[in-house]
Amino acid sequence: MATAFQELSLVPTMSVALNLFLPRPAVRFAVLVARRRLEREAKTLLAEYGITEIDPAAPVADLPLGQRQRLEIVRAMFRRPRLLLLDEPTAALSDRDWLFALIARVLAEGTSVLYISHKLDEIRRLCSRCIILRNGSKVLDRAVADMSDDEIFRNMAGRSAVERFLATPSSVRMEVPPAMRAANLIGEGVDDISFSLQPGEILGVAGLEGHGQSRLFKSLVGLQPLRSGRIEVSGTQRALRSPRAARAAGIILVPEERKSEGIFKDLTTIANISLPAIERASPGYLLSRRRERMLVRRVTAEVDLPEQYLPLGVTALSGGNQQKAVLGRALMAGARCLLLFDPTRGVDVGAKQSIYRVMRDFVEGGGAILFYSTELDELVHLCDRCLVLYRNRVVGDVHRAALTQEQILSLAAGHDPGATRTTLVKA
Amino acid sequence: MAPRVTAATTEPSSEGQSTPPIHRRINPELVPGLMVLVCAIVLIAASKLMNPGAGFTQELAAVLGTSIFLVVASFGQGLTILLGGIDLSIGVVIGIAAMMISVLTDGRDATLPWAVPVTLAVGAAIGVVNGVGIALAKVPPFIMTLASGITFYGAGLGFTSGLAQEPVAPALERLMNGHWFGVPIPIFLIIAFVIAATVFQNGTSVGRKLYAIGSSPGAARVLGLPIGGLTVLAYTLSGLCAAIAGLFLAGYSSAATLDMGGPLLLPTIAAVVIGGASVMGGRGIYLGTFAGALFLSALETIITVLSLSQGLRDIIEGAIIVGALLAQGERWNWFRR
Amino acid sequence: MRIAERLRRLQISAGAAVAVLLYVLMYLVYAANESGVLSQFGITNLLNDTVVLAVAAAGLTLTVLTAEFDLSGIGVIAIANVVVATTSAGPAGWLVSLFGVLAIGAAVGLLNGWLVGVLRMQSLAVTIGTMIACEGVALLILAAPGGQVADSIANGLTGDLLGLPVAALIILGVLLLWFLLAVTRLGIALYAVGTDETAARLSGLAVRRTKLLAFVLAGMAYGLAGYMLSAQTGSGDPRASDGFLLFMYASVAIGGTSLMGGRGGVFGSVIGAGILTVMQKMLFALGAASFYTDVFSGLIMLVAILIGTLPRVMPRLRRSVA
Repeated sequence: MATAFQELSLVPTMSVALNLFLPRPAVRFAVLVARRRLEREAKTLLAEYGITEIDPAAPVADLPLGQRQRLEIVRAMFRRPRLLLLDEPTAALSDRDWLFALIARVLAEGTSVLYISHKLDEIRRLCSRCIILRNGSKVLDRAVADMSDDEIFRNMAGRSAVERFLATPSSVRMEVPPAMRAANLIGEGVDDISFSLQPGEILGVAGLEGHGQSRLFKSLVGLQPLRSGRIEVSGTQRALRSPRAARAAGIILVPEERKSEGIFKDLTTIANISLPAIERASPGYLLSRRRERMLVRRVTAEVDLPEQYLPLGVTALSGGNQQKAVLGRALMAGARCLLLFDPTRGVDVGAKQSIYRVMRDFVEGGGAILFYSTELDELVHLCDRCLVLYRNRVVGDVHRAALTQEQILSLAAGHDPGATRTTLVKA
Repeated sequence: MAPRVTAATTEPSSEGQSTPPIHRRINPELVPGLMVLVCAIVLIAASKLMNPGAGFTQELAAVLGTSIFLVVASFGQGLTILLGGIDLSIGVVIGIAAMMISVLTDGRDATLPWAVPVTLAVGAAIGVVNGVGIALAKVPPFIMTLASGITFYGAGLGFTSGLAQEPVAPALERLMNGHWFGVPIPIFLIIAFVIAATVFQNGTSVGRKLYAIGSSPGAARVLGLPIGGLTVLAYTLSGLCAAIAGLFLAGYSSAATLDMGGPLLLPTIAAVVIGGASVMGGRGIYLGTFAGALFLSALETIITVLSLSQGLRDIIEGAIIVGALLAQGERWNWFRR
Repeated sequence: MRIAERLRRLQISAGAAVAVLLYVLMYLVYAANESGVLSQFGITNLLNDTVVLAVAAAGLTLTVLTAEFDLSGIGVIAIANVVVATTSAGPAGWLVSLFGVLAIGAAVGLLNGWLVGVLRMQSLAVTIGTMIACEGVALLILAAPGGQVADSIANGLTGDLLGLPVAALIILGVLLLWFLLAVTRLGIALYAVGTDETAARLSGLAVRRTKLLAFVLAGMAYGLAGYMLSAQTGSGDPRASDGFLLFMYASVAIGGTSLMGGRGGVFGSVIGAGILTVMQKMLFALGAASFYTDVFSGLIMLVAILIGTLPRVMPRLRRSVA
C-alpha cells in the first residue's frame, strides 16, 4: 500500500531525488547514499511519469505547491503498490489530466485505487464505486454509474443538524453603516477581495480547501499582512495590523485550528473564557475568582456551556464544549463582528445546534458574522448571503434566496461558468 | 508506561449533565508539588533519625535556611519555563549581584539603601536584555540566555578580578545568619517570598496571561495577548530574582565570588521540573517549584548528614530528576501528540 | 551558483561559511601579533587546544540536528577523563581505556536516546538528569583531582605523527566520519527528522531509532573528547569539564547549526570550536584582558544566530517585495 497525502509528507530541505526514494535510498559501498545515481534515476523516473520540469537535485522547498503534489503522487505510485491511496490529490494540481492518465495506467496494472475527493466530476470520471462519508460514518456505498449528481450531493450534504434548526427571518440592518467593509484586499493568498458586512448579517464564505479562505480570515485580524486594500469598521477606516487592534475594533476571530489556536490547553475552562476580560476580574491587580465566575457565567448561559465544566481543564471537554468555550471567549471580548472559521468542525450534533443558536442570537443583537464552513448545508441554511472563493478570488456572491449547495459546489470548483453567470449577483 | 489516555475521553460523550469525577476537583497542578513536599519532609525526618543529636525543628530550620537561594532563583526560572523558555544566565546574574553588593557596600551598612537597588536594577537589566533578544530578535531562549550569560560573565570579570576584595555589609550578614524569636530570619523571608510569588503567578491577571501564552502561543496570538511585553517581563523578573538570590548568597557567605551562582543554575531548572512544570510551557505552579527547591536542599542536607560522597549525591539527584520526569511520562505523551 | 550547490551537498550552511571567514580572519590577526604561530609547534599547540571542544561539539551537533537537547556531554567527558586517569596504565592501557570511554559514552547515549527517542521525554530535562548523574559517577571513580594518564596517551596524542599533529589527524578523522555519515541513510534521516518529524514519519523513516542512534553517536564522541582531554591534562579531574557545556553549545551555534534542528552540520561546529579557541589566543596575543574572551564568545554566538536566521527571513522579504 502507498499513500499520497493531502498534507504533503515531503521533507522540505531535502532534494527531490532523496524525497522520492525515502526511506531507503539506494546506496553504494554498502552504506553511502548514491546521490548522483539517485538523481539520475529520479530524472528517468520523473520523465516516465511525464515530469521533465523538476530538477531532481533541487530541494523540495524550492518547488511550487503543484509540483510538490506531483512528486507526492509519483512517490506513491512508482512503488507499484497493490493499493494506492490518494487523498485530495488535485487540491494543488492544475493539470488534472496528467493524474487521470496515470491513474488509468496503474489501474491497468492491477492496482486498486482509493481516491478521496470533494470534486464530483473527478469521482464520475475515475471511480467505479463510491463511498460517501459524513461525520465519520458511511452513508452510501454504491456504483457511481447508478448514482445521479443530485443523489451524491444530497448524501454528501445529508439532512443534518442545521436543517432541524429553526430558520429565523433575517435580521440584517441596512440602514446603518456596514459593520465591516473590505475593499480590494490583496495579500498572499488573498487576491483582490471586496465585501461588505452589515450589522445583523451572517455572510457566508464558501470554498474548497486551500482557495484562500484561511488566508482571508487571518488577514482580516492582522495575523497575516495585507499588501493593499482598506478595511472599514462601522464606517471608519481601521488599520487592523494585529489581533489586538482587531479586538479593539470589536473584531474577533474564532480560528480554524481549535487545538493550537483556539483553546489554551493547560488552562481551566473558566480561565479560557475569562481571559479577554481578566483585567475586569482583577480589581487592584488581584484576581477575584468570584468576579471571574460572575463574568463568565453571563456568557456560558449564552453559549449553553454547562457550568460544572467551568473548573475543569479545557482539554477534558468534548470538542463541542471546547468550541462553546472559544465562542464564549469571543463574546467575552466584546465582539461586534465575529469571524467564524469552520466553527462546527469536529463538533457533535447538540453542540452544533447551540452554535447555530449563538450565531442567530448574536446577529439579532446587532452583531455581524463572517462565517466559513466546510459543511455546505450550514452555509445554505444560516447565511443571508454567501461569497464563494476560487483560487483566492471571490467568484460568486449569492443571496439567500438563490443559495443551494449545488450552486456553491459548482462555483467553488471553478467550472460550470453557466451557473456562475446566472447566480452572480452584483455586490 | 501507562497506556495513552487522553484527557478528552474523560468527559461523557453524551450531552448529559453528569458531574465530573471527584479527582478532577483537586487541582491537579498541586499533586506533583504535594508529593515532592511529602518526600522532602520524609527526608528531613529521616535525617533526624540518623542524626538524633539535632532536633526536628532545628533540622527543618537548617534546610529551610539554606534553601532560600534556590527558592528565590527558581521562581524566576519557573516564569521563563512557564513561557516555554529557559534562563541559563541565572547563575551568572547571581554571581554578578553578589559581587556588586560586596564592592558597592564595602562593609558599610550606610551604603545599602542605594547599593541594593542598584544591584537589583542590574540583575533586572540583564533580564531585559534577554527578554528583548527573545521577544523581538526571536533568538531561541536557550541561545540568548546562554550567550548573554557568557557575555556578562566576561564583563563581570572585566570589572573585578572574579573575587570580591571588599567585605559584605554586616547588615546583610545579620539578615542571613540572624534569628527572630529563635527562628532564622531567612525562614521569614522565604514565607514572605512564597506568598508574594504565588499571588503573582496564580492570583493576578498578568500571571494568568503568562500561563495562557506558555500554554498556547498560537491561541495567545489570535487573541491578541501582549506576548512580547510579557516575555520581556518574565525574563526581567527572572533576572531580578537571581539578583535577590545573589544578595542573599553574598550575605550568607560573607564573601562573594563571580562563580558562586554557577552551581545553582541547574538546580533551579531541576526544582521547576520536579515541581511538576512542563518544559514545553503553560504548566506548573510556584508551590510545586518551592517544594522541588526544598526537596533538593533537603537531599543535600541528608547527604551531608549521612556523609555520602558528592558523587553519590549527584547520582541520586540525577536519578531523581529522570524519575520525576518518568512519573509524569503519561502527560508528556499526551503533549507531544 | 555552482559553488553554493556544492557546499549545500556537503551540508555546509551559510552560517558555516561565515564561520570559516571569521576563523581565517582571527587566525591572521593572531599570527600577525604573535611569533611562532605558523611554526609546526605553534600549529600543533593551537590544534591541541581545539581538539577537545571540536570533538565534543561534533557529537553535540548530531543530537541538535534532530532538534533535541543534549546536556549530558560534560558528564560523559568527566567520566571519560577519570576513567583514563585510573585505567590507562600498563602496556595496552591506552587501547583498553579508549574502548572503555567509547563504550561508556555509547551507554550514556543509549540511555538518553531511549528516554528521549523511545519514551519521548523532554530532552532538556532528561539530559540535565543524566549529566548530573554522570558527574556523580565521575566523582565516585575519582573523588579529587589526581590519577595518572599513561605517557603513551599524554605524549602520543599531543605530539606529531608522520609530521602531522595528532590533533589534526583526529579532527580530520572526525570530519571524515561526519562527511561519510552525512551521506548514509542515517545521516539523511537525521536531517529529515530534525526538519519535519511528521513528514519524516510519513515518509517511512524510523524516527525513534534515528534519535536513539544520534544520542549514541553523540555519547561516543563525548567519550573521545574526554580521552583527548586526558591526553592534554595528563591527569584526572572529575570537575575538569565543568565549564565546557556553554562552549559546546556556543561552538554549535557559531557553526551555523540551528537549535530547531535540520540545518547545519558537524563541519560548522568544528569551525565554531576553532573560532572560540583561536579567539582566546588572538585576544591574548593582542594583550586584551582574559575577560574579553567571554564577552566575545557571547557576542559572536548572538551574531552567528542572527546571521543564521537571515536566510530564513530573506525569502519572505523578497516575496513580499515581488
